[in-house]
Amino acid sequence: QLDRGCALHTAARDGLSSVSSQDVPAERPRAVFHTSESDPAKHTEQHEGRLYNIPLEEVKAVFPHGLPHRFQHQIQTFNEARVMVRKPALELLAYLKGSNFTHPAVRYVIYGERGTGKTMTLCHVVHYCSRQGWLVLHIPDAHLWMKNCKELLQSSYNKDRLDQPLQASVWLKNFKTSNERFLQEIKTQKKYMWGKRESTEEGRPLREVVEQGLARVRSATDAVGVVLRELKQQSHRGSFRLLVAVDGVNALWGRTTLRKEDKSPVSPEELTLVHNLRKMVMNDWSGGAIVTTLSQTGSLFKPSSAYTPQELLGKEGFDALDPFVPIPVPNYSPREFESCYGYYLERKWLQHEKAHTEDGKAELQFLSGSNPRQLDRLAGPL
Amino acid sequence: RIMPVRWSRYNPSYLEPEVKKESYQRPLEELTEEEREQMELKAVRPIKAAPPTLSSSVFSDPMISKFTNMMMKSGNKVLARSLMSQTLEAIKRKQLEKYHKAPENEKETIECNPYVIFHQALKNCQPIIGLSNITKGGKTYQVPVPLTDNRKRFLAMKWLITECRENKHRRTMMPEKLSQELLLAFNNEGPVIKKKHVLHKMAEANRAYAHFRWW
Repeated sequence: QLDRGCALHTAARDGLSSVSSQDVPAERPRAVFHTSESDPAKHTEQHEGRLYNIPLEEVKAVFPHGLPHRFQHQIQTFNEARVMVRKPALELLAYLKGSNFTHPAVRYVIYGERGTGKTMTLCHVVHYCSRQGWLVLHIPDAHLWMKNCKELLQSSYNKDRLDQPLQASVWLKNFKTSNERFLQEIKTQKKYMWGKRESTEEGRPLREVVEQGLARVRSATDAVGVVLRELKQQSHRGSFRLLVAVDGVNALWGRTTLRKEDKSPVSPEELTLVHNLRKMVMNDWSGGAIVTTLSQTGSLFKPSSAYTPQELLGKEGFDALDPFVPIPVPNYSPREFESCYGYYLERKWLQHEKAHTEDGKAELQFLSGSNPRQLDRLAGPL
Repeated sequence: RIMPVRWSRYNPSYLEPEVKKESYQRPLEELTEEEREQMELKAVRPIKAAPPTLSSSVFSDPMISKFTNMMMKSGNKVLARSLMSQTLEAIKRKQLEKYHKAPENEKETIECNPYVIFHQALKNCQPIIGLSNITKGGKTYQVPVPLTDNRKRFLAMKWLITECRENKHRRTMMPEKLSQELLLAFNNEGPVIKKKHVLHKMAEANRAYAHFRWW
């Protein structure tokens, strides 16, 4: 009991000395690891290690896809979405705030070992950008486009390439929920033909392109390509800022497990979605930023110990993404671990009686190695 | 040449390993005479190797390990352990959701600790009296017989696992089925409790043959 009070006290002292603001009330010491600042634009080093709340309606609007599975279950159980503010995210936000949007888009690659919080950092940045009113192009996991595809159609636009109607339609649906108002404002600049009879005229809102893709599933992949192309061409005008957020970008230059009908393997260049996305991730457009994450967990034919950009992207991917700003994401620092542990205790997630003791906490820290994913997995049954 | 290991026996001079941290942190004055002699003996005699199921973790529980071993198939302890942890997590999630939705006065009655639920459910499933087959005069009779603690625990765990494996829909996952069964048993409902009551009724019905037992 005494020890727990002392540990909280040190965290409180650190918090209070650097913070002169109002979000650490003295009479509720357990709120030390929370912060009432739910706007990512105002997060600074003072808020490091603290958890901020995202209202549930915003979660449904901003993240129709993109949050990790375990985090979604956690939101459902605790009835709230609390994200920890960590150094890599603060660094990225500082870069984004200070970037010049007339220059070509800067590429940021978030990398780190397995389960250190790369996807959550990406989600933090996506939340910030959607709060600031940017147009967010969030691809939840590029690896899902490389494997387990039930239907592969030959593309009508280009004979060599292959379409993925299911994945494209799912992505279009989620894109529509997250960026409703932009689809009305942005107009197409060219006439697009969908097959022999349907077409979209010049000057129509992008929403019609998206609805065409959702209605006619066969042309969904082409609709995605049209959307990407329009956004890229119009972003330099400055009427909106574009954020391209890709999770698992190393999939674009890896290998696929898909096969054509004659059982020959498909390479990523032959997939239309991948081809268009690669053009998007190039830095030949201005008026936004490209934030990507490397991921070994969903990757195909890569060893599980690989986490650096060189290993996961391969020569081709590294040359394509070069130059980029690397952002490493480490395991929890002692302070972050304390705050995560305190949050689980407060939400009654750690139910075992020994988990409340110092011994239990030391054991959790040792067994998880301060890795966020391992801590979450260990705290599950306890 | 492969040495036979499974049935090999330790020399009687080998002592059991002591795993609990607390026993080594007690100061010398607290120990009685016998315990001091035991400590000196440990310094001299060799010690047996600790079995892999023995753990010094504060979170280890012998009942849970026994249950995990019974769930294990063809030695796949990794799978059994992960199923067990997923079951405990599923119980915790269901109870926490109920807790957060309940009104203030009912919040204390809802038990959220999966370990407490597991132990209570097992206790509720344990039969008090069992039946055994005794042949007398060419006919076999079902004779009511007292059960040892170990046998009761074993029967409770066996019934839970067979119930989950056989009488559920093919496509449901084991953690889901098990968590549902454990929650029902915790509230004294469910097919396992029914089986226990059926056994008790059979034993009550066969009371007349109780004198056939000779032990």
